[in-house]
This record gives sequence, C-alpha cells and structure tokens, in this order.
Amino acid sequence: MIALRRLLETEWGGLALIFGLGGGAAGLLSASFFTEFNIYVMLRSGCVGILVAFAQMIVLAVGQMNLAVGALGGLVAVLFGAMLEVLDLPLPVAIALALLIGVAGGLFNGVLTAGTGIGSFIVTLASGSMFTGINVGISQSKPFHGIPAEFVAFGDARWSFMPALLWPSLIVAPLLAIFLYRLTPGRRLLAVGGNAHAAELSGISPGAMVILAHAISGGLAGLAAVLAVAQLGAAQPEIGATWLLISFAGPIIGGASLNGGRISILGAMFAVLVIALIENLLVIVMVDPYWVQFTLGALLLTTVGLNQWRATHAARA
Amino acid sequence: MRIVANAGQAARRRLEAAPQFGLLVIIVALCGLFTLKQPDYVSFFNLFAMGRSLSVDVVIGFSQMVVLAIGNMNLSVGSIGVCSVMLAGYLMQTWHLPVSIAFLLALALGGTLGGLNGFSIVKSGVSSFVVTLASANIFSGAMLVLTRARPINGLPASVSAIGLYRVFGFVSPALLAATTLGALLSVFFRYSVSGKEMLAAGANPTAAAMSGIPVNRSIVLSHILSGVLAGVAGLMVVVRVGAAIPSVGGQDWLLPSFLGPVLGGVALSGGFVSVTGTLLGAMLVTIIRSGLLVLDIGNFWLQLFLGLFLLAAVLARRYGGIFRRCL
Repeated sequence: MIALRRLLETEWGGLALIFGLGGGAAGLLSASFFTEFNIYVMLRSGCVGILVAFAQMIVLAVGQMNLAVGALGGLVAVLFGAMLEVLDLPLPVAIALALLIGVAGGLFNGVLTAGTGIGSFIVTLASGSMFTGINVGISQSKPFHGIPAEFVAFGDARWSFMPALLWPSLIVAPLLAIFLYRLTPGRRLLAVGGNAHAAELSGISPGAMVILAHAISGGLAGLAAVLAVAQLGAAQPEIGATWLLISFAGPIIGGASLNGGRISILGAMFAVLVIALIENLLVIVMVDPYWVQFTLGALLLTTVGLNQWRATHAARA
Repeated sequence: MRIVANAGQAARRRLEAAPQFGLLVIIVALCGLFTLKQPDYVSFFNLFAMGRSLSVDVVIGFSQMVVLAIGNMNLSVGSIGVCSVMLAGYLMQTWHLPVSIAFLLALALGGTLGGLNGFSIVKSGVSSFVVTLASANIFSGAMLVLTRARPINGLPASVSAIGLYRVFGFVSPALLAATTLGALLSVFFRYSVSGKEMLAAGANPTAAAMSGIPVNRSIVLSHILSGVLAGVAGLMVVVRVGAAIPSVGGQDWLLPSFLGPVLGGVALSGGFVSVTGTLLGAMLVTIIRSGLLVLDIGNFWLQLFLGLFLLAAVLARRYGGIFRRCL
C-alpha cells in the first residue's frame, strides 16, 4: 500500500497507472486490443513521439522552449534521405551525420538565444521557419525513397510485442537521467532552469547551459527524425510537421514545468505512451480519426488545469 | 487615464518608430528592385492580387497583436479562423442565411472561441501558450469532426462577387476593410479606456491590478478581440476563394501572425502595440512572397526568407541601438 502511494506521488506514477488501467479496460472492451500485434502497433506509434518529447523537455528544463523541434526534424529527415539516396553514403555514416546536423541546428538556436538574449520563442519560431524553408527548398516537397532495405526492416522489426524502434528511447531515457541527475553539467542545467540568477551567482554560466540544452534538443530531434524515416520507409519532407503538440504535451502532461528546472523523464515517456494508447483505442472503437486531434488538445488542457488547481490548493492548505 | 501618456511614453514612441522607418525603407527598396526586374510588378492586376493576400496577413497580424498587447500569445489564431470559415459556409449553404448574417454569426463564433481562450487562461492560471496550444487542437479537431474535412462549395455568387470587386481599379475591398480595422484599433488603444487598460495590464499586471484595473477582464477582452479578428481574416479568405475550405488557417497562420507584429516592432512582453508596424510587417511578408516569384526563386524557399527576415528584424531591434550610437 505504501509502495503504491509512493508510486502515485511521483510524476510518472499516476500516468503509469492510467496506462495500465486504460490498457486493462481496453482489453476487456475489445478482444483485438491484447493481441501481440496490436500492442506492437501501439508502442511503435509512440517511439518517435517519446524522443520528440525528450527534445522539448531538455529545453524546458533550462527554462526555454523550442518551437523548431519539428522543423529541425523535417530538415534532418530530408538531408538523411538525400545522403542515402543521392550521395549514396553508408548507413552508419549517414546516421551519424544526421545526428550531427540535428546538434548543429540546436547549437544555432542555443547560440542565438544565449548570445543575443532574445527570447527562445521568437528565435526558434524564426529558425524553425528557416529549417522548413531549407527542407522544402532541397526536397521540392518530394520524399526521398532510396532508404536501404535493412534500415526499413529495422523500422518494422519486433520481438513479440516490442518494436525495435522502441530501443533508442529505452537507451536515451536512462542516459538522460544519468546526465541530468548524476553529472555536473546536467545538475547545472537544471539549476539554471530553476533560477538562472541564483545559478549565475553560484558560478554557473547560464548561457553555456542554454546552448548545451539546445544542442541536446537538436540531437534528439535528429534522432527522432532518423527513426521516423525508418518507421515510414521514406524520408518524407512532412516529417515533423505535426510534432509541435506532442513535443509539449509529452513533457507537460508528464509533469514538467514551463518555467524550467523541473522535468520528469519517465513522466514524459508515459505521457506519450498514454497518448499512443488513446489514439489506438480511438482506432479500435472506430470513431472518426479526426477525434484524435480534439482529444489530445482536451487532454493537455485538462491535465495542466488539474495540475494548476492541485498546486493552488496545496499552497492554500 | 490621459495622464498616463507622459514624456517617457513619448520618448518610447519615438524609439519604437525607428524599426517602422527601417521597414518602410526596405519595402520601398524591394518594390523598386522587383519593378526594375519585372515592370508588371506594379500593374493593376498584380497590385490587386497582392492587396487581397496582404489584407489577410494584416488582419492575422492584428489578431496576434491584440493579445501581445496584454503580454499573452494566441497560437489558435488559425484554428479560430478556420472555424469561422466553416461556420459561415455552413450557414450560407445549408441554412441559406443571407451573407451578412452568416458573416456576423461567424465573427461571433470567433469572438466566443477567443473568449473561451481568455476565460480558460484567467480561471486556470495556466500560461496562454499552453492554453492556446491545446485549444488550437481542440478547435481544429472539433471543426474536422463536424465537417468531416469536406469543403463547402455551394456559396451564393454574391460572395465571390465581393472578392472580385475592385475599388479604383486596383484596391481590393478586403484591403480597405483591413486598413479600416487598423484605424479602429489605433483609436481603441490610444483613446479608449478598455484599450489603455489592456496596455497597462500588459506592461505590468501587478501595478495595473493595484491601480484598480480589472486585469482579468482585460485579458478576456483581448482574447475575444483576437478571436473576432481571426474570424475576419478567415472570411477574407472565403471571399477570395469563393468557398469554405477546411485547410485554411490552422498552423499555417502561426508564423504570419507573429511576423507582422514582430517585424513591426511589437514586443512579446506586452504593454505596447503598433498598428502601423504590424501593417508594414505584413506588407513586407506579402512583398517577399510575390517577389520570389518575380526573381524566379520559387515559393519553395519562401519559408527560409521569412525566417531570415524575422531573425534579422529581432536582431536589428536588439542591436540597432548600438549602430545608432556608432553613427
């Protein structure tokens, strides 16, 4: 009982419970839910979203936002496709370069924000537009199809209900946790997010931490884009166009604060999985696919509303 | 309330006028360049077409500007716009309502949705960014569920007739409507109590609340205004296309809504608006868009240029003072 209460007190505990109970209820409602294949489909639909959520979360941790996550993802996806199809680079080289491009895009955001003091909202709104412009300028809005077969096979591969595409998230999550909770730069990053002024007075350079957070964010957006290419089997220029909502919904529903300094890695992960579960359920009960967007928006609004309400009532008590 | 406008504000107004002058120079220079390259650029037909698309960009910019005034933002401008578009189309085609009544009801819907945004922000205390990010998806999602993403084509002929009407041979009525709205907004923010209260609440909410300004009411009011303006922009598209299309607005309006005000010198922190700046900012966007076609660069690179200009504008404002001191 105490263990359960402890679990529920964490940011991710409630979401994990919702995920479990929701899944259980879904299994009772529909026989087709608890099939190995359906669980695989559901988990696979969340793989890219988890990394997209992480990409936003690391910037939220330092107290900023990155509206360019999706645009950078689209650019990396297209360049990744071009490297494979046009330049004929070997797959590992192309993946490494794709991640580097992501980090470079993030560095661009970070250096501009930290160097000029202009808000991250405007900087990433502008840079996002530039990334999208380069993306459609290069691809002429046409996808690159020359993706190696083994990479596309990786996108479809599974072990029982576990999609191979989930592995990168499962590796990145503990790495992020070690970075943010055990390593000095990570601790400093969170300190700057919590109170930039106090952090600066204790000898931390906020600018450097902002740049670091944006660089990591870019790298994660790049990784998400590479996985999206594997998932879709082609480097579509539209990759990333719909990432804005999930990138904020994941971390915020997962318990991250928009003011910085507070995030939850498991929370963001389970939030994306709950969203994937809801999408899956909507498909199973065969309602209009248009309900998905509505439901996601309503879910985000309800969660932040409840959190705010809980916070004000906790403060009053 | 008049006393608030003191010497400091006048000095600030002069300072803020600087980016608008710079914008004007850039606009004139670009127009000259494009006309040299392609003399048809200033033909009546092209001016008419540019005016029609400019009016939409201007009103989208106004829609964002009124919430920036109070230090909020509205990511649901495009979603509210498309809701108004589809309601107007539905009322005209299915209920056979007269155009004017359908348009008024569509604007009322825009105001209501904006009011919902404002109400949620005030009641929950959640930031306008998150609330309008969520509501944008709620509005768009509801619209798609109700319309099943099908366009409404059977509009009365009078709708497209408005779109083709030309004043003096090259001015679109939509452009006249946009400039009239701009004039009204100027008067509203400069002379009306509500408008001044909004700016005061945007500049410093705590100080405003202490001096007895109903801050929450101002926030809701600015979001209602933003919703109505988003609806106006949507209806301008309906008139131009002659149909109600569910792919209008949405996330496509996010960047243009910020481009106009931010290029025109409006800060995201609130407390200041510039109607002229927003108008000029939107004008620059329209000129770049049409100019890329003239220069044979093609619209594929448009987003890159818009982003570059936005970045250049905020950098110029950040470092402009240093250059001016050097001169």
